[in-house]
Amino acid sequence: MEEKLSTVAKSFTSSPIQELSHLAQRCSAINLAEGFPDFPAPAHIKTAAVSAINSDFNQYRHVQGLCDHLAIMAKKMHGLDVNPLTDIAICCGQTEAFAAAVFAIIDRGDEVVLFDPSYETYEGCITMAGGIPVFVALDPPHWTLDPNKLLQSVTRRTKAIVLNSPQNPTGKVFSKDELETIAGVCRTWNCLAITDEVYEHITFENEKHISLASFSGMQERTIITSSLSKTFSVTGWRVGWAIAPAFIASAIRNIHVKITDSAPAPFQEAALTALRSPSEYFESLRRDYESKRDYIVKLLAGIGFKIEFKPQGSIFLFAEIPESCLLSDVEYVKELIKQAGVVAVPGRGFFHTNLSMKKISQEDFSYQERYIRFAFCKSDTTLAAAAQKLGKLSDATGRLKLHHSDT
Amino acid sequence: MSTVSTEKDTVSTLSDSIQKTPRPLQVAKRLEKFKTTIFTQMSNLAIKHGAINLGQGFPNFDGPEFVKEAAIQAIKDGKNQYARGYGVQELNNAIAERFKKDTGLAVDPEKEVTVTSGCTEAIAATILGLINPGDEVILFAPFYDSYEATLSMAGANVKCVTLRPPNFAVPINELKSAISKNTRAVLINTPHNPTGKMFTREEMNAIASICIENDVLVFTDEVYDKLAFEMDHISMASLPGMFERTVTMNSLGKTFSLTGWKIGWAIAPPHLTWGVRQAHAFLTFATSTPMQWATSVALRAPDSYYEELKRDYMKKKAILVEGLEAVGFKVFPSSGTYFVVVDHTPFGLENDIAFCEYLIEKVGVVAIPTSVFYLNPEDGKNLVRFTFCKDEETLKAAVKRMKEKLMRK
Repeated sequence: MEEKLSTVAKSFTSSPIQELSHLAQRCSAINLAEGFPDFPAPAHIKTAAVSAINSDFNQYRHVQGLCDHLAIMAKKMHGLDVNPLTDIAICCGQTEAFAAAVFAIIDRGDEVVLFDPSYETYEGCITMAGGIPVFVALDPPHWTLDPNKLLQSVTRRTKAIVLNSPQNPTGKVFSKDELETIAGVCRTWNCLAITDEVYEHITFENEKHISLASFSGMQERTIITSSLSKTFSVTGWRVGWAIAPAFIASAIRNIHVKITDSAPAPFQEAALTALRSPSEYFESLRRDYESKRDYIVKLLAGIGFKIEFKPQGSIFLFAEIPESCLLSDVEYVKELIKQAGVVAVPGRGFFHTNLSMKKISQEDFSYQERYIRFAFCKSDTTLAAAAQKLGKLSDATGRLKLHHSDT
Repeated sequence: MSTVSTEKDTVSTLSDSIQKTPRPLQVAKRLEKFKTTIFTQMSNLAIKHGAINLGQGFPNFDGPEFVKEAAIQAIKDGKNQYARGYGVQELNNAIAERFKKDTGLAVDPEKEVTVTSGCTEAIAATILGLINPGDEVILFAPFYDSYEATLSMAGANVKCVTLRPPNFAVPINELKSAISKNTRAVLINTPHNPTGKMFTREEMNAIASICIENDVLVFTDEVYDKLAFEMDHISMASLPGMFERTVTMNSLGKTFSLTGWKIGWAIAPPHLTWGVRQAHAFLTFATSTPMQWATSVALRAPDSYYEELKRDYMKKKAILVEGLEAVGFKVFPSSGTYFVVVDHTPFGLENDIAFCEYLIEKVGVVAIPTSVFYLNPEDGKNLVRFTFCKDEETLKAAVKRMKEKLMRK
């Protein structure tokens, strides 16, 4: 009966992130793999959700106030004029907003440019819609965008560019110059852009998240997607949104209605409270995550990881395996789980660079098996416990020594 | 899957790009079927005229306290992060238990149950995960509008077999002629929206043999299974030889009057479940965590909950049907769901949309024109759908308005 699966479904493999989570659970490992917090969600938001359920906000709903507030925030953060009646679609998480956006604009054969490494879901979505993902490799160790690489990847068939900033897995925040380069390409080639800005409120030091839509000529061709999940530590509530020019937002809304019909009603109501959080909330969010970032950078550098690029945003650190260690990323993570009781994600699943590019450029892509992604959206207790477990396996110089011939 | 088209230029210069003529920005071609739904249009008109809404299919009363409490408790207990993609284990178990109770079938909650954002997403994931572009899928008209739209998103060819009044019986010979070697699946909604028809055992057996003979899958939407009034609900999966080729879909919303929570599920053998899960992973990735916990509590409700649910709905149905008949509609028998379809032609309007607009503007009541549920809108022009998932006062008020302003003298 396997032939009953669609061609698209047959090409998908199960999520390596989820599989490792299962192994970690079996070994009771500390989970620094999956990107969700293990600390409680903010009390004022939970209270709002409870109140919504008790006030009978439990049927199919469209909460216009939520759109109104998102429009206010878009103006405040990025200077964008967004019409809350026509330009916003509320969806079940950024995942669904992105899926609906892709289905709204991608026809069979359309090419979509993505930056490598990238979150694994974008490609699957694009493929499901019949689009062709085209990957542009960012250059390690700082994951910089080479404009020539981008130009070489854009063709007449390029319908859209996908931009995730702050970025999963690297923690990169695209610079103003890089954003201007991308905007220039979109304008010249008349492409659309879909952005994933879920980490928009998690940036460090002086980094400020700038939306691609705020660049000249971009608002009319950009679909912004984001959600409550990472900003408010409620990844399980499934409230996200797409902001786009009216004709695209309308298409996204119509598709969303066919995919899920409505985002969970009580949580849309609670989102109103969340988005009205005072500026102190966002400041302390940033401060807390920055100190967690610093903690994990120090911890991992201390045990021998190469961290040439400190995350500028997001909840992830992309660390390079110590040079002296000959294990691949997958092997290293397996040992980390079994021996150190800590789980992270092998980086190779985030790399997709086209084989054709590999052959032509003769660049060395072996770095793609040398990175491991750590999530630091965990409580201080968890991070300290991870430090302790890793510490136990360190040798005299403080370097992590796994019981596998790695010298 | 990251392949690049062979015709692509691997090196292009800036001058090439400037010479290219920009084409107008376009939305995807698949969106021809995705206009604003008739429900939204009617609801907007209803608000404008202060009409009583018997159109959109959600209750104006709330769900049971014990389920709401369970959700609240889950939020307070910190169950607010990503659930396992295919469902919180407690819920998968509860779904399997309920399914066993309802059908006698034992399913593996880990391998054969997938939780989705409502049955709407179960349908989308099933179609996108199991249907290839060019595959034929057979629908029974009239059909819920998301089926056709999602099928067109998957690039399927939709074929229709029409159920006709007064009994909306399945024309088996038409189904047999519709099947071809390209037919991948048949989609069945029972109890049926909008007609309230429930597929009989004879009909289900006949459809089953055709599907087995032609190696066709069956996707069933059973969200109204607990609103079965005139006969027992039958799950296709429970018929001999059918479990291995059936995806059974259901949800929390209609049974527990919590349509806004978006908890649904698909039950299917492992090889079909795998396809559903792949698509689901890219559509929404995970489903609302606290609501899943609450649903696991809901599904373990005692029999008395379901009996009371049926009793309440039968009372409401009686109020509406008696009223509609008294006013002069030809009311067709509805065995299940909280819908009833009627023939509006005694009132002299030219079609269903014109009648519904008249009903809102001149009488102050909303019904849904059924033409939108057919591939060929002409087939529905005599029929409109009323719902009785409203409290008794609302139903009585609607009937009163129709008696005063619509009744044929």
